[in-house]
Amino acid sequence: MNRIRPLVLAGLLTSLPAWALTPAHTLVIAQSLDDATSFDPAEGFELSTVQAFNSLYQRLVQSDPAHPAVLKPVLAASWHAGADGHSLEFTLRPGARFASGNALRPEDVIFSLSRVIRLNKDPAFILGQLGWTRDNVGRFLTRTGPAKVKVAWTADVGPAFVLSLLSAPASSIVDARTASAHEIDGDQGNAWLKTHSAGSGPYAIRSYQPHQALVLSGNPLSPAGAPRLDTVLIKNVPDPAARRLLIEQGDADIARNLGPDQIAALQGKPGVTPLAVPSASIHYLAFNIESSNPVLKNPALWEAARWLIDYDNVATTLLKGQFAPHQAFLPLGFPGALKERPYHFDPERARAILARAGLKEVNIRLDVNNQPPYLDVAQALQASFAKGGIRLNVVPAVGSQVGSLFSSRNYEAIWTSWGPDYFDPHTNASAFALNRNDGEKTLAWRTGWQIPALNAKTLAALKQTDPARRARAYESIEREVQRNSPFVVAFQSRNLIALRSSLKGYVQGITPDMVFYDKVSK
Amino acid sequence: MTAASLLARGLRRLGTHALTWGLTLSGLLLFTFLLSRLSPIDSALQWVGDHASASSYAQARLALGLDRPLPLQFAHYLGQLLHGDLGMSRSTSQPVLDDLKRVFPATLELATVAIVVGSAFGLSLALLSARYPGGAIDTLARVFALFAYSLPVFWLGLLALLLFYARLHWAGGPGRLDDVYLYTLPQGSGFLLYDAWRSGDRTLLANVLSHLCLPALVLALHACANIARLMRAGLLAEMRKDYILASRARGAGPWRVLLAHALPNAGALLLTVLALSYAGLLEGAVLTETVFAWPGVGRYLTTALFAADTAAILGATLLIGLCFILLNALADVLIHFFDPRSV
Repeated sequence: MNRIRPLVLAGLLTSLPAWALTPAHTLVIAQSLDDATSFDPAEGFELSTVQAFNSLYQRLVQSDPAHPAVLKPVLAASWHAGADGHSLEFTLRPGARFASGNALRPEDVIFSLSRVIRLNKDPAFILGQLGWTRDNVGRFLTRTGPAKVKVAWTADVGPAFVLSLLSAPASSIVDARTASAHEIDGDQGNAWLKTHSAGSGPYAIRSYQPHQALVLSGNPLSPAGAPRLDTVLIKNVPDPAARRLLIEQGDADIARNLGPDQIAALQGKPGVTPLAVPSASIHYLAFNIESSNPVLKNPALWEAARWLIDYDNVATTLLKGQFAPHQAFLPLGFPGALKERPYHFDPERARAILARAGLKEVNIRLDVNNQPPYLDVAQALQASFAKGGIRLNVVPAVGSQVGSLFSSRNYEAIWTSWGPDYFDPHTNASAFALNRNDGEKTLAWRTGWQIPALNAKTLAALKQTDPARRARAYESIEREVQRNSPFVVAFQSRNLIALRSSLKGYVQGITPDMVFYDKVSK
Repeated sequence: MTAASLLARGLRRLGTHALTWGLTLSGLLLFTFLLSRLSPIDSALQWVGDHASASSYAQARLALGLDRPLPLQFAHYLGQLLHGDLGMSRSTSQPVLDDLKRVFPATLELATVAIVVGSAFGLSLALLSARYPGGAIDTLARVFALFAYSLPVFWLGLLALLLFYARLHWAGGPGRLDDVYLYTLPQGSGFLLYDAWRSGDRTLLANVLSHLCLPALVLALHACANIARLMRAGLLAEMRKDYILASRARGAGPWRVLLAHALPNAGALLLTVLALSYAGLLEGAVLTETVFAWPGVGRYLTTALFAADTAAILGATLLIGLCFILLNALADVLIHFFDPRSV
């Protein structure tokens, strides 16, 4: 067959015009795959891998992409909370099978959730919030029947929050028998799963060539049903201008991570639909209170900075719709997201605030990722802050270097972004409004912001079980961070992508994992 | 000179060269190692991620050997290297050796086509310039060389894609093959031109060529300009020498003087220029490889640099260093062969 296939395909190719459309049963996606390091759901935490998890794996419960706050049963048929308030019992979906043909068992759930903790990779902190550790996790996950599994926890959190964590990509259910068959030195299949899949999602990894391409084959056994297109080819095209040419020519069906320039160039082009999909990414400025520059701990500087960002100009003129002004740490679309935007560009007011506080000739070093859109916005900030009398010394560097400076508190100011790790307000609240000085490098810790009162409010909101009250609690915390904190949240980003107009059924949600290829047809 | 003394001399030369190459490679590795260790990027943090607890972070430092003194870390790396182990790349989760085996053929194929085309055109231009110095052809060739040498290669690449791929549909787009072939073909040698030729499938060969031509021509243009500039100067210098005058006096025609007398004498320069240009291309043309989504060494090294992936950075640097040394050694040998006066 291998000898015949190229000939058949060659025949197919020669029958197409030079600017051939992509093969009929294959979805071709052009994006950057350079960040991908592991397709193991207990390890992968990069944009490319997280975007693939919904195709490869399923969780017990998952967000409905149209209404992300609503959790729907997927590999669980039903669940109920235990009387102790610290457990949930799930009944597994009858007849559910993995791509290997193995039936779903409670042991698979126990294997999958406990290996996230035992492997202790990047996403382990998500389930670690339940009080699970390498030594005790086995006690919290128990088989209570042939198709029943109990999940328990010691942390002071409610079942609704636990369900949110179980809907995170890290909680994907892995086929324990397949993964164990590829175990090396007790790694629970981690080395093998970095480049293979063992899930029940609508697709399975056919081949993966690092930094080149990921090819997925349809999984007809998936409880989600067989996908419409039987192959997905995600190819690494690192340059956004080249991605634009590919989609324009019809050599790709979807082009991701385009810049404002590419989207502008694609407007009105026949056969291509450019889209700005709302994303949960927040872009903000952070000041380091612990730095040797004394001005950075002055709340007057924090307030002045809020009036020195030209929100509308950056969003509409500079980034042409890639950003929308947004001034709270929860992105729109999350429960409890604050819509209020009390600040606008007003350099006179900023000057007055600085003068009242006796701040003159303020010089601040601003570290920033050297890639668009970070550097473009940093340059705009430099210009607008200068009008308010603040000199920003912009220092661009590669992203990993800026990240290291930030997490070691070795900076003065940083312009960067933050994306939620799972669909619950606590994911961002625990970053911006929690600093317990317990070794966890939350964003609040990185700015050196000491907030015992706000810590208490954040932890209280986590325990709240009534959804309306919980949303109000987060609004109040956001307001505090918005008014008086070393953070200046300025924008919520949008993912700029382009689709071939003939493509139907593509769904992309607000968080990075909400990418669904199984209903796509063309 | 007896055969034994010739052999002894040859061996002595080889020994001296091997020592120089070994020292050069070790120096290159040490320098790269120090650069990657002294950069402000925290490799342990890159590995465990932002959310890691203090204990996971400490474990990662231990596992990466970052707690040990720098000389020990370097000695450990060299020890592994002597066993043929280049380590694991964190950014691809694959052994570095396997990664290099995958990316190097892509670069080698591109660079070889580019240097063949570039040197053929470059040398022809240089010969025309040297034949008619100061004339219209010479001026044109010099302007062309200057222009081609100073054009930014990524910009030229994008323009070429826009014109020949997007507008005229003469060439294939980014990547090494069309999607219908790629990832469905069984793994071959990695040299697609060779694999396609061996398969006997002409459409496949045409497809490989259509994807290879744009990046190869963009790189060839650059190499051509470089070779034309340097060889023109070299040939003109030869043309001013006495033996040229003597050959003219003996009645040799202008082309004969140029091709049979000046060119062989400028051979050493030609070989040096070719070796350097080829090595420069093998280093991986990062920007060209990015624009054309060409999965070669340059992109591999750049991605590794961004991810602070020390094993991959050192492995790729070692490979590039080896290419330079081998090509220089080859040029040395060839020069000595063509011109035994050079020692």
